[in-house]
Amino acid sequence: MNVVELNNVDQMYAGGVLALSDVNVSIEAGQVVGLVGENGAGKTTLMRIAMGMLGPRRGTVRLFGLDPRRDAVGVKRRIGYVSEDQILPPFLRVDRVIDLHRSLFPTWDDALARRLAERFKISPKAKIRTLSKGQARQVALLCAVAHRPELLLLDEPAGGLDPAARREFLETSIRLLNEAGTAILFSSHYLTDVERMADRLVMLHDGRVLIDSDLDTLRESYSLALLPANGTVSRDRLLALGGCLGVRERSEGLRALFALAPGETSELLAETVGIGDAPCHRIGLEEMFIELVGGQA
Amino acid sequence: MQLFIAPGDELPIYRQIMRQITDAIAGGRLGPGEKLASQRDLAEQLVVSPLTVKKAYDELEREGLIRTERGRGTFVGERAAVDPERQRQHLRAGARRLLSRARLSGVSLAEVIALLHEVEAELGLAPAGDGLGSTGGLGSGGGDGPPAPLSDHPFDQPHDQEEPES
Repeated sequence: MNVVELNNVDQMYAGGVLALSDVNVSIEAGQVVGLVGENGAGKTTLMRIAMGMLGPRRGTVRLFGLDPRRDAVGVKRRIGYVSEDQILPPFLRVDRVIDLHRSLFPTWDDALARRLAERFKISPKAKIRTLSKGQARQVALLCAVAHRPELLLLDEPAGGLDPAARREFLETSIRLLNEAGTAILFSSHYLTDVERMADRLVMLHDGRVLIDSDLDTLRESYSLALLPANGTVSRDRLLALGGCLGVRERSEGLRALFALAPGETSELLAETVGIGDAPCHRIGLEEMFIELVGGQA
Repeated sequence: MQLFIAPGDELPIYRQIMRQITDAIAGGRLGPGEKLASQRDLAEQLVVSPLTVKKAYDELEREGLIRTERGRGTFVGERAAVDPERQRQHLRAGARRLLSRARLSGVSLAEVIALLHEVEAELGLAPAGDGLGSTGGLGSGGGDGPPAPLSDHPFDQPHDQEEPES
């Protein structure tokens, strides 16, 4: 059974703008899925729907086979959640915040909570407002994982952290994966973090799933072709080719992204549009993101 | 042994891990029977997903370079049985770079071949019957018959000579 199962999910923003449109995403136990997309692409909405904080306008949402709106408590006890704008009560001490969470979760693991607190080197007596942003995020992570959830939802968890705090957060997440094998859905603008953490990548664009793929497949079998600007081939002609995901028009030429390895892209271009010498490159996630988002019709 | 990975590199992370371990074995920095970091430890050291490390180890095991013994750990194979077809591909890539560079510098193919013989002599490789014999096992490319035993493997001989057992 899948940990997360979203089927044909639609959601609107206030004012009738479509936030999610026919989204289908399922996550298996132990899978780590990176969720990427521009601001406003629908990442946070998707997380909130999975949490049951929002109901879908259309479609079905199941976590562990349960409806997170109907079985709100049962579902929430099995998941952990950290977000960029999560606010812990600033006047409380760290140990009191931890106590609060312990009281909510029957499966709370005291030993794990203690180990994490020691590793973070955060004094239990410290008031939340005296912590740095990175430390506060670590307390939030501790509270999200000490009940050993089956699914961890991290909405831009590294947002606002400096590189050292971000890396620390990643290290902790990796240790958790090692210890517990938790399934994780995390959104991030840091594509290098996504590459380190995720097995699978889901890219949202304008509320739709643009890409849902194994990360290594994405890295090995996608390529960017650089084509001349002299009008030998049009953008529409390229977009009509099988495997073409996006084309960007720039003054120096066309940049076409293909879901094909470089060699295959070369062959396809030679056979279909008669351009045999277009350079085709394998590209990193960040470049892919730019080409995809910028290359949509 | 220490590894270094760079997200955003041309190669996916599991391939970067594979390449560095393969290079270390070929270069003698990792000897036969030597123990590798556990998958969990390596994932924490490199700060990458444990599944990525597992994928790299699984591939290396499939290639016969390492083996995992349940409960004991992962070790470099006693005789690293390198897939000859794969090695041929590596050599071809190296040859392509060598020839492009030679062409740019105005060095002829005959001169490149002469250079290869000089290097062969420098490395003290066993004299071959004819000029091409020493790479015959790879160059024939038929893929028929079992892989050559390690002692005949052209890839390993230079390292044996360069880095004698201490």
